Amino acid sequence: MSQSSSDALGAAVAIPAVLGYKSPQSRPQRRFAFRVNSDTLLQGAALMGALCILLMLASLLAVLFYAALPAIRNFGFGFLVSTEWRPNELEQPKRGPDGKILIQDGETVMETMPPAFGALPVIYGTAVSSALSLLFAVPLSLGAALFLIRAAPRFMKGPVSFLIEFLAAIPSIAYGIWGLFVLAPFLQQYVEPKLKTMLDPVPGMHWMFQSEVMVGAHAIMRPLSLTGRDMFGGSLVLAIMIIPIITAISRDVLNQVPRAQIEGSVALGATWWQSSKEMLKFSRSGLFGAVMLGLARAAGETMAVTMVIGNNNQIVPSPFAPAQTMSSLLANEFAEASTTLHRAALCEVALILLLMSLIFNVVARWLVVGKNSRAGATH
Amino acid sequence: MLALLKKTALAVAVLGSSVALGQVRLQGAGATFPEPLYKKWVTAYQAKSSQVMIDYQGIGSGGGIKGITEKTVDFAGSDAPLSKSELEALGGADKVVQIPSTAGGIVPAYNLPGITTELKFSGEVLADIYLGKIASWNDAKIKELNPDVNLPATAITPAWRTDGSGTNYVWTNYLATQSEEFKGSVGTGKAVKWPVGQGGKGNPGVAAIVQQTPGAIGYIEQAYADQNKIFYGSVKNKNGQFVKASPAAVSVAGAGAVEMMKGSVIAADIWNQPGDQAYPIASFTYLIVYKDLGNVKSKEQAAALVDFLKWAVHDGQQLSSELDYAPLAAGVQAKVDAAIATISYKGSALAQR
Repeated sequence: MSQSSSDALGAAVAIPAVLGYKSPQSRPQRRFAFRVNSDTLLQGAALMGALCILLMLASLLAVLFYAALPAIRNFGFGFLVSTEWRPNELEQPKRGPDGKILIQDGETVMETMPPAFGALPVIYGTAVSSALSLLFAVPLSLGAALFLIRAAPRFMKGPVSFLIEFLAAIPSIAYGIWGLFVLAPFLQQYVEPKLKTMLDPVPGMHWMFQSEVMVGAHAIMRPLSLTGRDMFGGSLVLAIMIIPIITAISRDVLNQVPRAQIEGSVALGATWWQSSKEMLKFSRSGLFGAVMLGLARAAGETMAVTMVIGNNNQIVPSPFAPAQTMSSLLANEFAEASTTLHRAALCEVALILLLMSLIFNVVARWLVVGKNSRAGATH
Repeated sequence: MLALLKKTALAVAVLGSSVALGQVRLQGAGATFPEPLYKKWVTAYQAKSSQVMIDYQGIGSGGGIKGITEKTVDFAGSDAPLSKSELEALGGADKVVQIPSTAGGIVPAYNLPGITTELKFSGEVLADIYLGKIASWNDAKIKELNPDVNLPATAITPAWRTDGSGTNYVWTNYLATQSEEFKGSVGTGKAVKWPVGQGGKGNPGVAAIVQQTPGAIGYIEQAYADQNKIFYGSVKNKNGQFVKASPAAVSVAGAGAVEMMKGSVIAADIWNQPGDQAYPIASFTYLIVYKDLGNVKSKEQAAALVDFLKWAVHDGQQLSSELDYAPLAAGVQAKVDAAIATISYKGSALAQR
């Protein structure tokens, strides 16, 4: 502590000293010693800044891991593959090995089932909603980026670029409210019924419009009520939210394609589309990185998704069934999680989410910047 | 450097205390359900006792209980009474005072375009709907309760609260008294696993689902439903009467629970109470403080807290029905007074005023 505070003090002194550094020629002797000193101090301060960020990430991981420990101990690996998320205890009649309800002295024997936590439904929800949102967003984003680089007239380039960046700055709760009050009712009243009448009669598509419901001990198939607040709606909102980031980065990546490359392909007789294809091919790893960054944002997005995804911890193959993502589960349950185990299980979900985003981001950076430095070095 | 830090800290402390000079500050946190009422209480109480500053933050019952356990707040609000383990973490029943502050009902709101008659529900039907056993509005069991209504064949979309909440706690506990199957497969708690339907966050989330989806049914706090003009039905109570939720009907249910109230940790479940006028899906919300207020800074602060509690359960109750909360019945107030009288500060009693 005392070490770091003296460093911080050093940095504070160093800044005015550098600002006052005006005419080195007039004082050549002092210059050398002074320079080394301020450089070292500034270097130290910069190093501190960098270390602080690393320390923050490390402590985030450590704290989450520590908080998740009871759940990790209790459920082990099963946490990742179990589909049951039930924070409350259940009193059920005890069943014998033959499956019959045990009765002792004329009374049913009851057993208490402890709470059960399994993250598979939310991992599934996060994976599918992110993947679907990429499916909607990537073609649009790449199209927009190509337009900006190759086709846009000069007077459109600036405003469109600005608007795309502006979209990225809109807080996610605004998208959520729009999703809940505009998009979901629209999907419910117009889009989903239309899709149902179109797709339901098609052989092999029936699964999209029904789900299995456990009624007592029996599983029955029931038509899904199309509400607009489901995996489909959630993914659409996510797609709208990640379009700006993918477009902006793709634009920068495409901008780095050497002019000679494009002119060369055109000279060889390529059509506009063929030369654009060459461009996309040339910067494919950078573009893939842009997509990965979009994916990372989609996976971590919380409030907007919570408002439109339906919040049901279940794995249903249909995109028209309500679902839940890791972050929406956290938003929903963390504030009132009262038992240690419940909190720990939520922390473990947060830890999984953090590690996942970390991996996405590392891979994306590596693709955009590290591996292929010719395609896009703006980030 | 350290000396400088210390000086800065001192300066900040001096600045802070000069702002609060001559004032007593009380910090509370917890349940969101009574937050509008508590905020109104605070405003009204501060108008009366201007030297007292009270702040209540609706961070959720769980957060409030955590806060009082770690002594970061002076009082906590909770929709569910303290559980055994929570009580132990606070030092046991003889270290804690828990009083009901107000009560509220939970109503079944639904969306059936074209149906203007108010629907009647029973606990059994509601349990079957949330179990997925009743899947459409023209089910024989709903028709039986509403013979005069021409119910459509619309599918039912049950909506529930996804955030762990006192509302869930009361709703599931009530349904568990009505259906053994519900008790065994969904169970009771602030957060449970629902077999069918769709989740919304908070009252607004559930209300949005109900209002947007034809055929949806959801459970909403009565105060919220009334303030937002959300249509809801009546529920059959223990005496077989269909009662529509109102502050008065909830107060009746609360008065029926006076016999259950004992000691300083008052906890009374008021769902499914007998009485022709009693609304069956209701609960108290609670305020929790330490019995010995050694955790607060001074005796003045402790005295102010006790005074605020006394004021809230008497004068404050008049504000309750204004905000669609159910005021405490006279019998309940007597029990609460007895509990408040046990509060002390470092061994010396505080109750007289």
